[in-house]
Amino acid sequence: MNKILSFTLLTFLASSFLQADDDIFDESLEDLMSIETELKADVGSRTGSTDILNSHSPVDVITHQQIEHSGFTSLSDILRYFISGFNAPETSIADGSDHVRTFTLRGMSPDQTLVLLNGKRVHTSSLLNVNATIGRGSSNVDLDTIIPSSIERVEILRDGAAAQYGSDAIAGVINIILKGANHKNSFNIHYGERKKGDGKKSISDIFFTKALKYDGFFNLSLQIKSQEKTDRSGIDQRIEPASHTTDVGLSDATNILATINTEIAQFNNFIFYSNSTFNYRDSQASTFFRPSTNNENTSLLYPEGFLPMLNAEILDYALTTGVNGEFENEIFWDLSNRYGYNQIKYYLNNSMNYSLGADSPTSFYNGSLSFTQNTTNFDMKKNFNALHIATGLEYRYELYTIDQGDEASFINGGSEGFPGYSDKSDINADRDSYAIYFDTTYIFNRNSSLEGAIRYENYSDFGETTNLKIASDYKIIQNLLIRTSISTGFRAPSLAQSNYSNIATFSGISSGTFQPESDIAQEFGAEKLKAETSQHFTLGFVTQITKNSYITLDYFLTDVDNKIMLSDEQTLTSQQQEKYNINKVSYFTNAIDTRTYGFDIKMGNKFQFANNNSLDISFWYNYNKNKIIDFNDNNMNRVNSFEQVDRVENGQPKHNIRVLSKYEQNKFIYQLNFNGFSQYAQVIDNKRYWFDKELLTDIDISYKITKKSTFSIGSNNIFNIMPNRWDNLSATPTNPYYGYNGIKPYSRYSPFGYSGAYYYFNINIKF
Amino acid sequence: MLKIILLSLLVTSIYAYEQESKLKVLIIGKVAKYISWQKTDQDRFIITILKNNDGDLFQNIYKNRKIKHKPVVIKYIDNINQLQDTDILYISPLNNQQIPYILKKLQTENNIFTISDIRGFAEKGGMMQIYFASQRAKIKINLTQTTDKKFKIKSSLLRIADVLRGSSLYE
Repeated sequence: MNKILSFTLLTFLASSFLQADDDIFDESLEDLMSIETELKADVGSRTGSTDILNSHSPVDVITHQQIEHSGFTSLSDILRYFISGFNAPETSIADGSDHVRTFTLRGMSPDQTLVLLNGKRVHTSSLLNVNATIGRGSSNVDLDTIIPSSIERVEILRDGAAAQYGSDAIAGVINIILKGANHKNSFNIHYGERKKGDGKKSISDIFFTKALKYDGFFNLSLQIKSQEKTDRSGIDQRIEPASHTTDVGLSDATNILATINTEIAQFNNFIFYSNSTFNYRDSQASTFFRPSTNNENTSLLYPEGFLPMLNAEILDYALTTGVNGEFENEIFWDLSNRYGYNQIKYYLNNSMNYSLGADSPTSFYNGSLSFTQNTTNFDMKKNFNALHIATGLEYRYELYTIDQGDEASFINGGSEGFPGYSDKSDINADRDSYAIYFDTTYIFNRNSSLEGAIRYENYSDFGETTNLKIASDYKIIQNLLIRTSISTGFRAPSLAQSNYSNIATFSGISSGTFQPESDIAQEFGAEKLKAETSQHFTLGFVTQITKNSYITLDYFLTDVDNKIMLSDEQTLTSQQQEKYNINKVSYFTNAIDTRTYGFDIKMGNKFQFANNNSLDISFWYNYNKNKIIDFNDNNMNRVNSFEQVDRVENGQPKHNIRVLSKYEQNKFIYQLNFNGFSQYAQVIDNKRYWFDKELLTDIDISYKITKKSTFSIGSNNIFNIMPNRWDNLSATPTNPYYGYNGIKPYSRYSPFGYSGAYYYFNINIKF
Repeated sequence: MLKIILLSLLVTSIYAYEQESKLKVLIIGKVAKYISWQKTDQDRFIITILKNNDGDLFQNIYKNRKIKHKPVVIKYIDNINQLQDTDILYISPLNNQQIPYILKKLQTENNIFTISDIRGFAEKGGMMQIYFASQRAKIKINLTQTTDKKFKIKSSLLRIADVLRGSSLYE
């Protein structure tokens, strides 16, 4: 394979020297209007949109046509499908993490990727992943709150960009652009299920658009999505006879979503704009089964044992409003405000609080998490011939809240499966920050440009930071561009990381997560959280062999200092246990320094045949390696923290391949895609278990019934590839959870889940 | 499979991505074929660019070219008051703020076909607007304006353009 890659790359590079520019002057007007223009992205530079193949930094764009034909119905899956190195595992039996999908870019932390919507910062979920999942210790943006059919394109900047966009832009920036003017109304029905017959998913969505004066528009998208659970559990050896007791797979979820995007343009060039997203999600997933032998009080309410079901009610909405225009001196300005809110309310059903015996309720309200973010921006930009300047101010307010649950959900160990948040967890924590930035691009000539950016921020909780970025591109010859960037960045500790606390009890052991500034955490050396800081370097080449075929090769290196993690559980001494009434403690800490490096190779080509058929092929290989280079917390090291260390270094595939092909023939569109993942590992009881590399195949066939209606059938993971089970890890009656013959036979780190093949059909009607 | 895919990438193809700016410049000249000007005694076809924002693209593309069997002349002006005889006036986005003034000045001109890629240009009283959506060039024509100024536009152009009808929105 390496030889093939090398040969292809060299041939591409060699042929790039031989290609001549073709002339389209004599093409008819109709033909000119059918020619595809270059893909442009707004992200990457604040001075203006750029052609992605001539940008300083690697940028990728997923278009709405690609999204429509992907067969995937959530933004997390769409990004996983198109972006090599984007990972979005489907975890289960991990409390709140079952209900809010986490994602990573280049194997880095979920909170190290900044997400923008129409160029404005998107608020994160209020969920803090505290279980042993990919992304433990972080909060991420809930990508599934946005309706895919409302999206015009998704831009992905694969470079550090905190000097341009602020906190979190370490692994990269995802900029979601909503559909604007010039789209058609559409109605879409999707239905599918897993090979095993479960996981039924039905989706109905409508996109309504109305053109307004001066190219303004009003777009409304509505979606109702129902996802039934999947169950890939193994047998539970604690009961006689051993059988399936627990649901291991996708959660059972119903979603109602809405997206509005509007621009009202005025004759005097003012444009008032607004966009809004809304998502209500009712999601239910199981925790581990409690057999009747679990506790002597179990039989009081559940003689056969019980399966606690955690219900997360998620409310997420955001509203952006703004106005932009141009001053007389051609200075473009933009004033905007974005308010975002996320709330998760937990309810636990079919459970009990052992300490309450027969009087225990069986259903509990376990409390809620919420996060509010309000960001106000004023931006300006102007082009002075070759010099393009952008500047802006930002003010942001954030509020993180934990509300306590029913008393029965948290007293004396709390409700089984998921103890509620107690009055000790109850908190309202807020902060604000302001920032000023400058971004300048100088275009020397057609062949080279240089960009410099600087951003100063001041946070009320951790102080100030200034970050820089320099990026440049240079065309060595007409079809071969070299690009490089060097920058610094940061990630502010989230309010959740600084303020979250909760106590959980499992198998009679009570463990607590405590604020870093709490007495108990400080007894273990915890300190007030500092910002993560980062340094970035990229170096890449872009060659366009013909106007519709390209190769990009980009190397990246990112060092992160003081990465925040949730510490390992520290066992308290008997005196401490007596003092704090708890067995184990964990806390957030600026635990480690990491180094991430690797490269991306992308190739794409489009062939147009004489009979108007076309073939579109792209290939993307990503290699990323994450390494811990230093420990900053005395309680963490490679031995004590083996599970955490290995999750960072080996928990995700280092090699990722995407091969996408689309053949259009008259009324048919055929798609055949391959997703390859290299091996990954999970640690159980201080021992590492590897999981095999896998290649998955997706197929989609679309038929245009009429000019305005399309019918599609397809399958994701058509050959029903499953991750291998735990190798040589055998579950036992005393440790029944993990093992090839246990309740959870697969790793929750699997980059493609473990629900198996998905078959679907889709009907799309435009009107 | 991978070998087939990689090798297929080496095949030279005929399909092409183009830059928006280049397509725009080409379309500006190409639409002339579909438009009839009142007077035809001029021996040159003149395209005037108001506040050039495209470098030497117009010059390069129309050098030694003909439109309507006439050699093309490209003129650059920075102010609408400098406007002289021209067949097409391309108003670049750099004129965004001056659009009301420019269109008012042009009210007395009867034989200049105005084209721009400024947002809302056609509705604001311009004749033809070029815009890009879903990586394709699109055309919007204000038929009221072109009819008022006695331009005849072939139906084949109107078929592929968005056509605005009704009274002029510019006042």
